[in-house]
Amino acid sequence: MLTKKLPPLQSFLVQVSRRASHVARQQYDVIVVGGGHAGTEAAAAAARVGAQTLLVSQKIHTIGALSCNPSLGGVGKGQLVKEIDALDGVCGRAGDWAGIHFSILNRSKGPAVWGPRAQLDRQRYREFIQSELLSTPRLTVLEGSVEELLVTEPNPEEPGQHRVTGIRLANESHPISASSVILTTGTFLSGSLFMGQTTSPGGRIGDAPSSAGLSHTLRERLGLRTGRLRTGTPPRIVKDSVDLSLAQLHPPDSHSTPFSFLNTHTRCKPEEQLPCYLTYTTPGVERVVKESLHLNCHIQQDTKGPRYCPSIESRVLRFPGRSHRVWLEPEGMTSDLLYPQGLSMTMPPDVQLRLIREIPAMHRAEIHTPGTLPDIYVCLQLTDLTVKFYLNASYFLGRWWFPGYGVQYDFVCPTQLSPALQVKSTQGLFLAGQINGTTGYEEAAAQGLWAGVNAARWALSMPAVALSRTESYIGVLIDDLVSRGVTEPYRMFTSRAEFRTTLRPDNADLRLTLKGFEEVGCVSSFRYQKAVRVRDSLQDALAALQSLALSPSIWRKKMPDIPMSETKNNVPTGMDILQYNDVSFETMASAFPECLSPYMEFSQRLKIEAVYRPHSEQQRKEIERIQREENMSLPQDIDYLSLPVSLSQEVREILDRVRPSTLGAATRLQGITPAAVVHLLNYVRHTGQKERRPHRYRTDQREDEEPRARNTSLPR
Amino acid sequence: MLPSVYHGVWRAAVHTLRTRGTPPCRLLSTAPLADAETIFALSSGHGRCGVAVVRTSGPASATALKHMAGLTRNLPPPRTALLRSITHPQSKEVLDRGLVLWFPAPHSFTGEDCVEFHIHGGPAVITAVLQALGSVAGMRPADAGEFTRRAFQAGKLGLTEVEGLGDLIHAETEAQRRQALRQMSGELGRLYQDWSHRLKRCLAHVEAFIDFSEDELIEDGVLNQVDSSVCDLQAEMERHLKDERRGERLRSGVQVVIAGATNAGKSSLLNTLCQRPAAIVSPIAGTTRDVVETALDIGGFPILLSDTAGLRDSPDLVEREGVRRARERVEQADLTLVVVDCAHLSSDAQQAAAFIQGHLTSVLPTQEQPESVFPTDRFLLVLNKSDLLPEEQKQKLDRELRCVSGLPPVCLISCHTNEGLQDFLTVLHSSVKTLCGDPLSGAPTLTQARHRAHLQQCFAALAQYQRYRDMDMALAAEGVRLALTSLGRITGRVGAEEILDIIFKDFCIGK
Repeated sequence: MLTKKLPPLQSFLVQVSRRASHVARQQYDVIVVGGGHAGTEAAAAAARVGAQTLLVSQKIHTIGALSCNPSLGGVGKGQLVKEIDALDGVCGRAGDWAGIHFSILNRSKGPAVWGPRAQLDRQRYREFIQSELLSTPRLTVLEGSVEELLVTEPNPEEPGQHRVTGIRLANESHPISASSVILTTGTFLSGSLFMGQTTSPGGRIGDAPSSAGLSHTLRERLGLRTGRLRTGTPPRIVKDSVDLSLAQLHPPDSHSTPFSFLNTHTRCKPEEQLPCYLTYTTPGVERVVKESLHLNCHIQQDTKGPRYCPSIESRVLRFPGRSHRVWLEPEGMTSDLLYPQGLSMTMPPDVQLRLIREIPAMHRAEIHTPGTLPDIYVCLQLTDLTVKFYLNASYFLGRWWFPGYGVQYDFVCPTQLSPALQVKSTQGLFLAGQINGTTGYEEAAAQGLWAGVNAARWALSMPAVALSRTESYIGVLIDDLVSRGVTEPYRMFTSRAEFRTTLRPDNADLRLTLKGFEEVGCVSSFRYQKAVRVRDSLQDALAALQSLALSPSIWRKKMPDIPMSETKNNVPTGMDILQYNDVSFETMASAFPECLSPYMEFSQRLKIEAVYRPHSEQQRKEIERIQREENMSLPQDIDYLSLPVSLSQEVREILDRVRPSTLGAATRLQGITPAAVVHLLNYVRHTGQKERRPHRYRTDQREDEEPRARNTSLPR
Repeated sequence: MLPSVYHGVWRAAVHTLRTRGTPPCRLLSTAPLADAETIFALSSGHGRCGVAVVRTSGPASATALKHMAGLTRNLPPPRTALLRSITHPQSKEVLDRGLVLWFPAPHSFTGEDCVEFHIHGGPAVITAVLQALGSVAGMRPADAGEFTRRAFQAGKLGLTEVEGLGDLIHAETEAQRRQALRQMSGELGRLYQDWSHRLKRCLAHVEAFIDFSEDELIEDGVLNQVDSSVCDLQAEMERHLKDERRGERLRSGVQVVIAGATNAGKSSLLNTLCQRPAAIVSPIAGTTRDVVETALDIGGFPILLSDTAGLRDSPDLVEREGVRRARERVEQADLTLVVVDCAHLSSDAQQAAAFIQGHLTSVLPTQEQPESVFPTDRFLLVLNKSDLLPEEQKQKLDRELRCVSGLPPVCLISCHTNEGLQDFLTVLHSSVKTLCGDPLSGAPTLTQARHRAHLQQCFAALAQYQRYRDMDMALAAEGVRLALTSLGRITGRVGAEEILDIIFKDFCIGK
């Protein structure tokens, strides 16, 4: 994968269509709106599943741009990247291509919580994503603004049930029709920018027909509930103006570990990697924040802020008197900029400069002033609106700056989505990414991939597929979103996963690649074959280890260094011995070369497997129980308020509000009693026996072919 | 709500759906979904009784039977009573001499291997046998309704019985909730809550160390603090588990609480019932300010009678606390005697009934019965001071109130003249008798056994933290998670969000 030569960027720009009339067809299976992390994964996944897919982006330059931090992965997020890759997604391989500083976080804390992470070269990442999309069969890229989302009127028999029919672009008269539409428009919904006392509420600067039209459809016509969230980005610092000798050097790992299961090495040679730097805030930083509070309306307007600290302002206000970490991260191989992770701020630009200069290493630092306009488009993967605002702000300041700023935006409450990320009240409409209230590239990409898979399956009349929280972090992410909703930007932590010791980064391929090929259809057969080989070899190796059952004295003779405890087990097996802290598979293989040497390439995975296996066995029963619960679907059209079963009013209201899609999700709701669950189950079971009403929206031929495929009321 | 309660429901649910469209009877009598866990519980009622029945269900039943009935080789013939000495499986101490019965699968109530121990009915014997069963590997105390659910799962129950399952679970979890409340408000409850609180912080700090220490400034000392906390907790739990008295003697018996407005004659009723001036009686409203407890024997059943402060809004701090305690007692009670001064009742029966209805609602605990159905079996209405009414009105009231539906049983008495007292005692006796038939009411031994099992799991899980502390933080954290889950079965479930709350409060975590 890494050996291929990327086509020059220019060819991508030429090959994408800039006018809808140039698009070969006026009908697609799936249309993806937005070219960020969610949009690109969604488009690629839909095309892999087999759908004719159209990706519409306002600015083709910005497809695959890293709008905020130049890094991928981390603790929890790295697990997501591994899983996306296991499902044949793009971002893992893009990370291997663009990474310039690889490290495994949490190296000393156990393989289950290792966090693969990389600093990225923005340019290379964008190149890779664009080239990847270009070479994906069945995928067309189009530059344009979506003016309207086309939906049917609600069926009179089923009030509130709409169906997507396509989109209409600005300045085009002909609509483009599609069975599924995926919206991955990030912070566009009523987004407004904050810097100092300046704000630009949506719609006031210039006209933004696209976002206004979409917002209107989502809120007014489809009646979706929204909430408001905020995010921010730090100013970019000119590298040469920073005194790096005053900062702590953080070198990358000496062996760069790739994200992708397909790659054995990264594009960037280990010795060519760039370091990161660590500095700390000083009391001076706190002083500047406090002095400038009256100039900072983003912070003043903080109503129901998140529990964590998204900006330097909230850090020093909530944890005063401490010093906080500031990471200085490279932006690219040839970039002369540093990204100060931890210094997201929204004060006026002159105060921002004062603030960063309070940090010793940055006492003479300059905020980046981009020389030419296109760079801004590249860096700011935002809407027209925000770019215009930025231009206005820069104009008033008299020069091109890249200061930090805050964004407030609306998100669609994700409890209105099904586990397939489809809007429950609108068939064929899928949402993914920041629009669902998440933060982070990896979270967006994971949702994009899963929405893409299901949008394609919907369009191709295949039943929806779900990922369980027992088998993947993606499942945890989606289940948390659709069954609990969000009150602050949702970010993945390993502590959210109940079965963390099973959902490890090392085994993501075994958990997902096989299923991705056999059940989901989003994995290429090349990757599948590879995963099958890995699975079989691991099974053989584990069987070989298990059959190495020897008495302690023989073990001691063969491997004199191991601390054998006499009492523990009469005849310890190779698996038992490999669990020991200071026994590696390599040493074991050298003692038993005849049966273990064929598996040397999996030595690390085998060691991890041996350590975690006893715990996985313990968890298996609990996992099976949850999976059974998740397989029992609840019909989405139950009228809980008038259901003729014995349920308390309180329980009815909870069920009516959340509309859990499975009985498993229902049990996890606060306030649902076991008795309520039994009554509900009895009801479902009885109605399931009777003939359920025929399928509702029979408008085209394909749906007739699989009448039961989308009827979610029955367990499969 | 105990999370484990759900498990059984779900297993039952799975089975129901799998057998959809076919009669659910005896389809899966071999129970392929059978639990590896074996459950046990006291199946007979509480109260003074000659014989108590303890039942087990699950694969370890046979082992338990062999170990405890001294059967080294063969199991007894199925469904045949056998007189044996019942011994503790580890200490070999003889606990009792009684009958044992062996019901191999599938011909048993639950369709699994079952054993019944018929032992003597004293609380000491029951406790000893339950604890002995708990020490057998793979055995744990049954959750509410779990025997019934397993029977359901094995297709041993018909459709109508299945319909009633939800109500049964509700009733049983409700009884458990009352029981837990009772214990949680005491010393023991405070101890468990304190442990839970400390464990939560430990887990939050371990999770913060795992999720954030690479990017954020998490102080190096965090784990050391967790280490010492875990050590302390282990030591405290070990001491607690060894201490046979377990810190507090649980109150045994059916909990009966006297409640009502001030000056209705509640303390007089207590004194009348226990035939001694246990509580101060005066014509001044608000005389009783604290809970006055006295143990009684009603028709052979042990009851614990509590007199409480009259319910009213008072500016007096002491009285307000008294009223709060009174409400707490009503919430934990198995049976509440609502005392009403009948001089306050209108001579019109309709109006009187409405007054009583309103009065009852004010006595009811706030979070009672979502369906707003009045739980008549948990209340008795006592109309006191009947001597102040003219004879004619008395009879009319008595007659007409009996006809009003939705009211609990009504007794018209006078604590002054003892008029109507015999009738009242008969009604009280039958209510207590009904309650004692329910093995969950007033049976602290069962909850004790359950708590003990969960505490032992918690203790063992903390050892996992110690074992992996320097090898693998993920596995060490798993130990703390398990410990908190086990303790949470007593003190209430702890979700991931609660842990994140603590993390974000204690540490500065960025975007």
